[in-house]
Amino acid sequence: MASQGLTYDGCNFFRQRLVLSTLSGKRVKIRNIRSKDDNPGLRDFEASFIRLLDKITNGTRIEINQTGTVLFYQPGLLYGGVVEHECNTQRSVGYYLEALLMLAPFMKNPLKAVLKGVTNDPTDPSVDQLKYTSIPVMKRFGIDGEGVLTPAKCMEVRSFCLCLRTCIFLYSVRVSPQMANRIVDSARSILNKFIPDIYIYTDHMKGDKSGKSPGFGLTLVAETLNGTFLSAEQVSTPQGQGDPVLPEDLGRNCAKLLLEEIYRGGCIDSANQSLALVYMTLGQQDVSKVLLGHLSPYTIEFLRHMRDFFQMMFKIETQKPAEDERKGGDKVLMTCVGAGYTNISKSIK
Amino acid sequence: MEGKEPKKEQKRHQQKHSGPKAERKKSRKQLGTPAGDDERKRNPKAFAVQSAVRMAKTFHRAQDLKAKKHHIPLVDRTPLEPPPIVVVVVGPPKVGKSTLIRCLIKNFTRQKLADICGPVTIVSGKKRRLTFIECSNDINTMIDLAKVADLVLMLIDASFGFEMETFEFLNICQVHGFPRIMGVLTHLDSFRNNKALRKTKKRLKHRFWTEVYQGAKLFYLSGMVYGEYQTQEVKNLGRFISVMKFRPLVWQQSHPYVVADRMEDLTDPEMVRVDPKCDRTVSLYGYLRGTYLKNKGQVHIPGVGDFAVADISFLPDPCALPEAQKKRALNEKERLLYAPMAGVGGVVYDKDAVYIDLPGGHVNQEQEEVRPTTELVQSLISTHTTLDAKMAASKVSLFTGAAALTPGEVEEEENELTSGPQESRVWDPETQRERRKAVFTEEEDDDDSEGRSEEEGDEEGESEEEGEEDEEGNKREEEEETVLKNKAKDKTEPKEKQGIKTIPPAKRQKMEERKLGKEPVVEVPAFADSEDELEMSEEEEGGKGEQESEGEESDSEGEEDEEDSAVEKGDLKPIDSGHCSEEEDASDSIEDDCETNVSGKEGKKSNATSKMEEEDEEMEGGELCYESAGSLRWKEGLQQKASEAFLRQQRSAPNLRKLVYGTVAEDDGDGGEDEEELGGLFRVSRPEKGKKHRADGVDCSRFDPDAARNWDLEEMLDSIRDCFVTGKWEDDQDAATLLKEDEELYGEFEDLETGEVHKGKAAKQKDQAKEESDDDEEEEEEKLMNVDDETQKNKRLEKKRRLKERFDTEYDDGDATYFDDLKEEMQKQAELNRAEFEDVDDETRVQYEGFRPGMYVRVEIPSLPCEFVTNFDPHYPIILGALGASEGNVGYLQMRLKKHRWHSRILKTRDPLILSLGWRRFQTIPLYHIEDHNGRHRLLKYTPQHMHCGATIWGPITPQGTGFLAVQSVAGTKTSFRIAATGVVLDLDKSVTIVKKLKLIGYPYKIYKNTSFIKGMFNTVLEVAKFEGGSIRTVSGVRGQIKKALSTPAGAYRATFEDRLLMSDIVFLRSWYPVSVPQLYNPVTSLLMPAGQKDSWSGMRTVGQLKHDLGVRNKPNTDSLYKPVVRAQRHFNKLHIPRELQKALPFKSKPKQDQPKGKMPKDLQRPAVIREPHERKVAALLNALSAVHNYKSKKAHTAQHAKHKDFLRQRSKAEEDKLKRQKEAKKKLYRMMGQKEKKSQRSSLKGAPLDD
Repeated sequence: MASQGLTYDGCNFFRQRLVLSTLSGKRVKIRNIRSKDDNPGLRDFEASFIRLLDKITNGTRIEINQTGTVLFYQPGLLYGGVVEHECNTQRSVGYYLEALLMLAPFMKNPLKAVLKGVTNDPTDPSVDQLKYTSIPVMKRFGIDGEGVLTPAKCMEVRSFCLCLRTCIFLYSVRVSPQMANRIVDSARSILNKFIPDIYIYTDHMKGDKSGKSPGFGLTLVAETLNGTFLSAEQVSTPQGQGDPVLPEDLGRNCAKLLLEEIYRGGCIDSANQSLALVYMTLGQQDVSKVLLGHLSPYTIEFLRHMRDFFQMMFKIETQKPAEDERKGGDKVLMTCVGAGYTNISKSIK
Repeated sequence: MEGKEPKKEQKRHQQKHSGPKAERKKSRKQLGTPAGDDERKRNPKAFAVQSAVRMAKTFHRAQDLKAKKHHIPLVDRTPLEPPPIVVVVVGPPKVGKSTLIRCLIKNFTRQKLADICGPVTIVSGKKRRLTFIECSNDINTMIDLAKVADLVLMLIDASFGFEMETFEFLNICQVHGFPRIMGVLTHLDSFRNNKALRKTKKRLKHRFWTEVYQGAKLFYLSGMVYGEYQTQEVKNLGRFISVMKFRPLVWQQSHPYVVADRMEDLTDPEMVRVDPKCDRTVSLYGYLRGTYLKNKGQVHIPGVGDFAVADISFLPDPCALPEAQKKRALNEKERLLYAPMAGVGGVVYDKDAVYIDLPGGHVNQEQEEVRPTTELVQSLISTHTTLDAKMAASKVSLFTGAAALTPGEVEEEENELTSGPQESRVWDPETQRERRKAVFTEEEDDDDSEGRSEEEGDEEGESEEEGEEDEEGNKREEEEETVLKNKAKDKTEPKEKQGIKTIPPAKRQKMEERKLGKEPVVEVPAFADSEDELEMSEEEEGGKGEQESEGEESDSEGEEDEEDSAVEKGDLKPIDSGHCSEEEDASDSIEDDCETNVSGKEGKKSNATSKMEEEDEEMEGGELCYESAGSLRWKEGLQQKASEAFLRQQRSAPNLRKLVYGTVAEDDGDGGEDEEELGGLFRVSRPEKGKKHRADGVDCSRFDPDAARNWDLEEMLDSIRDCFVTGKWEDDQDAATLLKEDEELYGEFEDLETGEVHKGKAAKQKDQAKEESDDDEEEEEEKLMNVDDETQKNKRLEKKRRLKERFDTEYDDGDATYFDDLKEEMQKQAELNRAEFEDVDDETRVQYEGFRPGMYVRVEIPSLPCEFVTNFDPHYPIILGALGASEGNVGYLQMRLKKHRWHSRILKTRDPLILSLGWRRFQTIPLYHIEDHNGRHRLLKYTPQHMHCGATIWGPITPQGTGFLAVQSVAGTKTSFRIAATGVVLDLDKSVTIVKKLKLIGYPYKIYKNTSFIKGMFNTVLEVAKFEGGSIRTVSGVRGQIKKALSTPAGAYRATFEDRLLMSDIVFLRSWYPVSVPQLYNPVTSLLMPAGQKDSWSGMRTVGQLKHDLGVRNKPNTDSLYKPVVRAQRHFNKLHIPRELQKALPFKSKPKQDQPKGKMPKDLQRPAVIREPHERKVAALLNALSAVHNYKSKKAHTAQHAKHKDFLRQRSKAEEDKLKRQKEAKKKLYRMMGQKEKKSQRSSLKGAPLDD
């Protein structure tokens, strides 16, 4: 009777699979998780992620074999409520947040999650970045802070975006406050060539407030005329791992990353592509369109998973820039017909 | 009366000539209209508002009425060519359902249908098609059809009145969304009396209205003429049907469904022969309704169960609407009729087969006209293959998992195998599909691939004509692949080829479609194997190029680099595929010489290298391997190529669709390629490096920047210059042009404006813009001199128009309400929905948005139970209802339920109930509960009589807000009104919190003031610990609290109360015990029942039924039995008052010796009779005399009795004797008579010969 499940190999795109499984209600089996590795099986952060999913759902069945190389996941109902989770420190909070952002609008009760863990690390988007870029994306879909909302309307964002201003969100923890200035100067040196409107928010922590590990990093957010945000970020390598990073290099590199992001363009920056696509897919049965920059490998895999779970295929059209335009690379116009997903976890009285 | 009497002359009006009235009139005449009097008429506006309150009220009311009319605007998602409207004809038996359908069909199509069997689809008008379905009297059918009906024709026998079925069906409809319902009264000719007829009509109409809605249409069919309804009436009914509008129903709008009008069993006959009960593969056909249906979803077939769809494909419409014409009526050819189950619509073209139905009486003209018979025969012939062909087509596999070998290959390999393919091993089964298996001879392959490539050429507009050699090469590769890898596809190919040979173009088109549908893995038709191949080789190159160029730069990165190769690959891909697509384009529009050169090279290369090498390449394609043997030649100038590729990437767009969806198939193929055999037998197992890396890569959403772009370079910086507000904008939004426009409009304000603007932050930008605009202005002035008046005039007009637009937008917006805005938005969305995929061909469109409602689809479902086929009865509807995202799962459902008013009995918790919810009908065990004021769900034993209550079941997940109905049994019509309850799904919570009251009882055994020790409530200390602090109560109402467990009597505890207890008190603890919902989900499989018994499905029985059936009686609780009350006599001791006390007491209180004299009750008062001595004597004598008399009479009586007995005995003896005598006499007499007769006979016999 129950719907047939899907089977995958390997632990890559682990979150995507579990999140889409939860949304679609299809069970999923992931085999050969690092089976050839010296240290086979699920890592701690993945286990922590599963635990988090278990907390926000109701009736989820999770089976992991002894070595941890096979995971069977039968999704339950998205329940929400107040959740407190101690995130594993192998990955930053962004790892967990990205998935939560996709699930949050479809909960039975408004989700209030308190995640404790590392805020910034080089692999995952920082909390700042998610705050300044993902939340506006959610707002575009009619998901507004409080309360549970299904995406009421599909977004049609086609017009090209012009960068209006740039904001620099800077944090430095347990390092000299001078570092911050050095970063800002270096980042400005590049960005000033394009736009003079640069706002700087510095977040210098010291004493008790600062966490355990010293470091610094910055998030650059470019706001466009029609209210979308593009962002880039870079953090210093953790102490004792890899080469130490000079603040100047960091600032410059990050600015270049932002330029790269602007070059790719689109209405949604590369980190949030999949988020927007999920909302489009789950929207009403109408045509919705979004203009993206280059599809990131993560997004491409996400699209494939979307086809597996929702039988959803996007119409992908490339928009080439005109000859004389200097607006960066090709843009991709994604079109889909929403799946008409309804939030079945909500209760009516 | 009035007529008789002469009319009296009425008194005439007499005008007043004097008096105040006459004077007033006179003055009015003189003055004209007086000033004071008629101001209301002259100036009505001034008197419009008389009362502000009233005005407000009227305004409110008007607004209320206006708002009431509004519905929430919804996006109009009705398809352009809607599916036929489902008209369900319902009614109790013998009411005239079939006759009505027959008449309607005859009315619309001029054809006569003898047997209404299954759905009948007809074209009723230029824009409307109808599907008629007859609903039998089975409640299963009624439930199923109510869910899919658009219009219900409810037949009512007027001579009889309403029957229960009608009301049941109405209730079913109400629960599952309310389709249009039209009542039809029949049997009206049985009324002789016109008045009775009118009365009945009226009565029925009003009853019908209360059930449906006031003013619901009720149609009267007055009588029969030659077994049919009157033509005019049927025509009118038809008109009503064909103009009827329908309202959208929520469930139907959100779920795609198919009412199957055809069923074909595709199971291999051999399998059926071996195991007659094997699961069947069945294809079902019908129009898709509701919404878009995605391929490979899950469907529910009511009466059968849930199934995964193997494949969906769309077929040409068998009952298409006529082409758009400016004609009023349909001509004869356009009045189509399609009813395959009833044997009409004879020839049906399937995806890969042609079905011919040859019913006895029906010769179908339309179908024959569509396809010439010769073609038919041809296609039929082509489906048969000779035994030789089959032999050739058969395959044998030596090892499990190895690709099968064809005889041809076996020969090539010099008969390595001892005896070749044995017949018994893997014979090709004999289904039609299987018969299509390829004949793998070389020539045929060539033909085949040619055919295929031709097809592909047709499919894609882009890559129509590639270089000739290129194509050849591709074909080769293709063959290899198809032979070795893609078994499933191979089966279809020769058939296609034959089809192409024999069948004209139209047919070929179809074949293509079918082929495309056949590829489940690739799915994207545009990218057949050949291109993937091409892409792959391209990828190799590109990858290598990148690698090499990178290698120089970043050798130091070493291992890490390899680790990240997965991500890199992703980055590279756009480059590669871009290259590829570019190549395809190149042949069309030859622009770049270098590009064509590259492709040319490619082609030659692929020609030159041998097959084996190619295979190797394929194998290593994904791995960026360097050691492809012998093919080092093409590595020349790799760097150059890479740089070219990079340049191209800068310019051209990568074909992303292929990248995203196409390469999935390629990846899948990777595995297959790795398993490719060496020499056709052995597999090469290689470590799949790249794949593994990708599978176990780091799960990270970060998009690493392309290393190729160096943001230190000025050119790169320049390339995004326009992305900022400081750069140059789009033509119409350019700051310069905008400014210019402003100037044109408000030229005179220019100075002021610039003055203001200069203050802003973006001073620099504006300055720039201004400079530019100044330049523009100068230029323009020069131009203006040249332009003539005409253009000037035009410009002015243009300016005016723009001004007006601006004005309109400013002032008209105020009028538009939120509602209007919303409506407009919806309208826009609807237009977008329509326009977006309008020009895409159906094959691709179907992938994006799913199958559109209105398409005629073929749904293939594997593993259906065999009973579905063997017990198939076309009279029962088959519905394929698609299930939403998580509707395939089972879970707990909380619902609100109300016992139906008309159902005679209340429902009991844990009694199995059959629910119709969503598409499904299933049996489940509900628990009824009710919510207490504190939110607790308390279990109920029975449903309340006239109140809603909660119900929790274990059943299929269905969206909240879906209505359901419950019946206790679907078999037979035992109960008067079968619908037991109705309700709605509220919640799908997986954690259920229904509780049952539990009272624990204990007894005090020690009482100290307010503290008591209580035993008997628990058994262990642990149990007590659990309930510490719990409140308890005695029967008399004394409240208390559990304090602490005591050690000695296990389970005893100390408790405190608000008052002192008595030993006789009983203490109880009120608690709640969670109840678990029984997990029974038993789909009603009525369609699987044998024909004729489909309405006799019975599931789990209730305990009551079981007991009744098995004759088990409840053993009553002995405590509850009534016993005679035996009360012990209460014995009170005598009151003993000490003598001392007695003395001290006053007389009044002293115990008295004599009892107080009570009055004797009257009935007891009897006069005592005291006899005199004489009387006593007399009495004694009389007594003695009577005793003597008694004795004597008794004696006499016994004597008499004996005598009588004797007499009876004698009499019976005499009787016996008499009988004996009589018998003997009779015997004697009969003997005599017999002899006499004999004699006379003999004499007559004797006499006869004498006479002769």
